[in-house]
Amino acid sequence: MSIFQILTSSIGRKILMAITGLLLSFFMAFHLFGNLFLFVGEAAFNGYVQKLHKLGFLIRIAEFFLLTFVLSHAYSGILLWWKNRKAKKNVDSYSKENTSSAARYAAFTGSFIFIFLVTHWATFWYKFNFDMQQGITYYDVVLGSEVGFANPFFSVFYIVAIALLGYHLKHGFSSAGQTLGIVGTEYEKLYNNLSIIFWFWIPLGFISIPVWFGFLVRII
Amino acid sequence: MNINLKIWRQKSNTNEGKLHDYRLENVDPNISFLEMLDILNNKLIKEQQDPVAFDHDCREGICGSCGFMINGRPHGPQKATTVCQLHMRSFNDEDDILLEPFRAKSFGVIKDLSVDRQSFDRIISSAGFVSVDTGEASEANKISIDKNNADEAFLSAACIGCGACVAACKNSSAMLFTSAKVSHLALLPQGQKEKTERVNKMVATMDAEGFGACTNTGACSAECPKEIGQTNIARLNREFVKAQVSNLFEKK
Repeated sequence: MSIFQILTSSIGRKILMAITGLLLSFFMAFHLFGNLFLFVGEAAFNGYVQKLHKLGFLIRIAEFFLLTFVLSHAYSGILLWWKNRKAKKNVDSYSKENTSSAARYAAFTGSFIFIFLVTHWATFWYKFNFDMQQGITYYDVVLGSEVGFANPFFSVFYIVAIALLGYHLKHGFSSAGQTLGIVGTEYEKLYNNLSIIFWFWIPLGFISIPVWFGFLVRII
Repeated sequence: MNINLKIWRQKSNTNEGKLHDYRLENVDPNISFLEMLDILNNKLIKEQQDPVAFDHDCREGICGSCGFMINGRPHGPQKATTVCQLHMRSFNDEDDILLEPFRAKSFGVIKDLSVDRQSFDRIISSAGFVSVDTGEASEANKISIDKNNADEAFLSAACIGCGACVAACKNSSAMLFTSAKVSHLALLPQGQKEKTERVNKMVATMDAEGFGACTNTGACSAECPKEIGQTNIARLNREFVKAQVSNLFEKK
């Protein structure tokens, strides 16, 4: 089999999805690390963003790779979804009680997450990189009312999207464990325990920011 | 007991099918599900109607011939049981029972509940042969096999190829079947020589036959009458990756 044949086989596509999915999850952990500076304070958060900006083209290279991961993950996902639909004579005829809802809705949650990502780039990412007005800091943008968490609609959308992301990853991690052949080896238990961090605790960390700065801080 | 059956009737793969209602009264709860269908067919023949076609052979749960959907589940409600080993006592008096064929693009309907599973045979035959020494029969215990591997291989070899995994899957994927067949030989010393070639060919045939991809939902193992485990799929994925890596380094 050539490399092309491997990547276009159903298992090859799934391996590509598993690897890109895991790499994006690692990035997500790193992203949360930065976001949590919001809780430390305004100066700490602004300082952290400025430090990243100083890296310049290194950040652009990283962004290029991340975008490639997102697009190849989505591309393989769509192709597999289409293959699976074609294989099914009657899309409703399968054992529903033994198919988890996280798996059944993985394509839907994935699509929703993609829409969220596009709005995320159009708001925070675009503003941070190209549209910073005089006298307004990064901290102000994130917590502001224009595209930030002071806007309750934006906060709710953000919370729903991250919750769906966690749901997507719940299936994603268990599926990647199978696809990468971890299930049935001595590493299975360790892998399952680590995956809880990614599908539960990290999304919870992201959600804590709009919940605190968007809602709780006003009430308390 | 009395039961109300809804059975999928379809003349052939090219004809449209639809559900038909049948009522059976005074069914002995201790007869098997297929015996109940035999009684229904006798009745239909006496009434000069077309009997319901369904696959069966050994009726002992080991040949893999039987199988259809009962109330939306392959082989019916009882875990780790083929249709032929299912008894009417698993149902209640006046139950509605829905019978449909295994539905997948790769399994064409032959008639009614009988489906064409030759796509499975083609996956098996694409795997090719196993090299063995011919000539005089050798000592049975000459090849020593690790006990754990022998047990695992036996569990994988228990697959009867009935197709319930494909019917249970939301993607009509044949990964559980293929992985059981790959695992069974990959775990034994006799299967080592053709290991790489086998996994590549079986996966390629599986894709070419139009089965869906695996989404790792685990529905197949949950419905499998032989309880073939999910570890087989992980092993197939491992074997597939190993085959690609060894192909990179081994130049022929």
